[in-house]
Amino acid sequence: MNRDLILILGVALMAILAGCEPDAADEKPSPPTVASAPSVPSPTPRMYPVTAATRETYQFYCAQCHGTKGHGNGINAPYLTVPPRDHTKADYLETRTDEHLFTAIQQGGLAVGRAPCMPSWQHTLDENTMHSLVSYIRELCQCEAL
Amino acid sequence: METPKKIFLIGLFFLTAGGWCIGAEASPALVQEKQCDTCHRFSKNDAIKSAPDLFFSGDKFQKEWLENFLKRPGTIRLAGPTRDPGFLKGKPQYTGPHPALNSKEARQITDHLMSLKTLKDLAPLELPELSKGARVRVKILFERDYSCIACHQSYNLARQPRGGISGPSLIDAGRRLRTEWVYQWLKNPKQFVPQGRMPLYAFDEETLRKMTQYIMSHKKEPENK
Ligand code: HEC
Ligand code: HEC
Ligand code: HEC
Repeated sequence: MNRDLILILGVALMAILAGCEPDAADEKPSPPTVASAPSVPSPTPRMYPVTAATRETYQFYCAQCHGTKGHGNGINAPYLTVPPRDHTKADYLETRTDEHLFTAIQQGGLAVGRAPCMPSWQHTLDENTMHSLVSYIRELCQCEAL
Repeated sequence: METPKKIFLIGLFFLTAGGWCIGAEASPALVQEKQCDTCHRFSKNDAIKSAPDLFFSGDKFQKEWLENFLKRPGTIRLAGPTRDPGFLKGKPQYTGPHPALNSKEARQITDHLMSLKTLKDLAPLELPELSKGARVRVKILFERDYSCIACHQSYNLARQPRGGISGPSLIDAGRRLRTEWVYQWLKNPKQFVPQGRMPLYAFDEETLRKMTQYIMSHKKEPENK
């Protein structure tokens, strides 16, 4: 468990330092400030069922990185230093709350200490859609937050 | 062929060629002859087609690049066009090579394409060159804060192309695209592609200008050394 924790922290630190690509960290001016979104009320995913529109949204936007079946093998995946999360794997996703997943989708990887190649979708998708995407990821991994 | 039938056919040809493109100028016969319009839309009113829309070419492209591309087309979308049915599977139906034109044809179609616009009276946008420090800061925005590099090819420090492939490569954007168009695209891509796979951003005016300038600084080395 301790080893895992160190690993997770290590990866998180790398992600924070390293941009999406290897040499982004070679240049270090102070990071620019990004307008942070207002804090999110506690999401309750069961209120946000997975609909045909949810699946379409996932295919249209998310699949280019996460793959059409959510395995993390979309067309951009070979070009990213941090692989897109495999949304069918429970072992990581059950360690994350729905809130964490929602924030990652809404504000991007950086906002949750993950890699910046995960974009922010707050100006593209409405909140209900983003909540339903959390439900869809729970369906893909067949897991809930522990 | 009997004459009335001939006249009918000629009439039909002109009707299809010009009659339904409301607003936009009718495409020249060459566009049809070369079947450009089987893959591309030349008018907003056409049904969606898989290749990139060309009805805002005059807003989007630099004339010189366009004419060269039509003579010696290259690959911009490394995963194929985003509306290709095989796009997400990494197996686009369109595999190229893109049809090429001779000089005379290229000039004629370039002139036509440059007349196709959807934006009216855009003031020319003169952006100052980015200082070294500003450049580094925008590069970090591009690669880190806004994840652009995850979908678009740009340059690494060794000036090698690197980055994702679901979006058009930006490595020659400074020769290919018009500053004013890039600015408008970043402001609101829906003006051109109502349903695109790129996330929307809400840049402030300063970031918008710097990001535009950063993209416009992407230029391939000229090939004829
Ligand atoms: C440009 C590529 C890209 C796109 C498009 C993308 N993602 Fe991601 N996503 C990533 C990467 C890379 C990670 C892994 C981040 C990490 O592990 O540090 C990730 C991670 C995630 C995570 C897990 C966050 C964590 O804690 O690791 C969720 C949830 C997620 N993405 C959901 C989505 C959804 C939903 C969409 C579509 C609306 C989407 N992603 C679109 C690249 C992308
Ligand atoms: C078989 C389908 C097909 C035909 C026919 C075709 N194109 Fe294309 N064209 C494409 C595809 C696909 C792309 C995108 C290629 C890329 O990005 O690598 C493209 C790209 C372009 C571009 C650049 C567009 C952009 O936004 O980057 C122009 C300009 C263009 N074509 C003009 C023409 C003209 C003019 C003709 C007729 C002489 C023509 N095309 C015929 C499929 C076609
Ligand atoms: C999730 C992938 C993704 C991300 C992230 C992304 N883009 Fe895009 N971008 C695309 C796609 C796909 C297109 C083509 C539009 C379409 O067909 O959907 C595009 C188009 C463009 C174009 C127009 C290029 C052309 O030739 O038509 C520019 C300029 C551009 N993006 C810049 C950016 C910038 C700057 C960022 C970061 C602030 C960014 N993109 C982030 C996917 C992305």
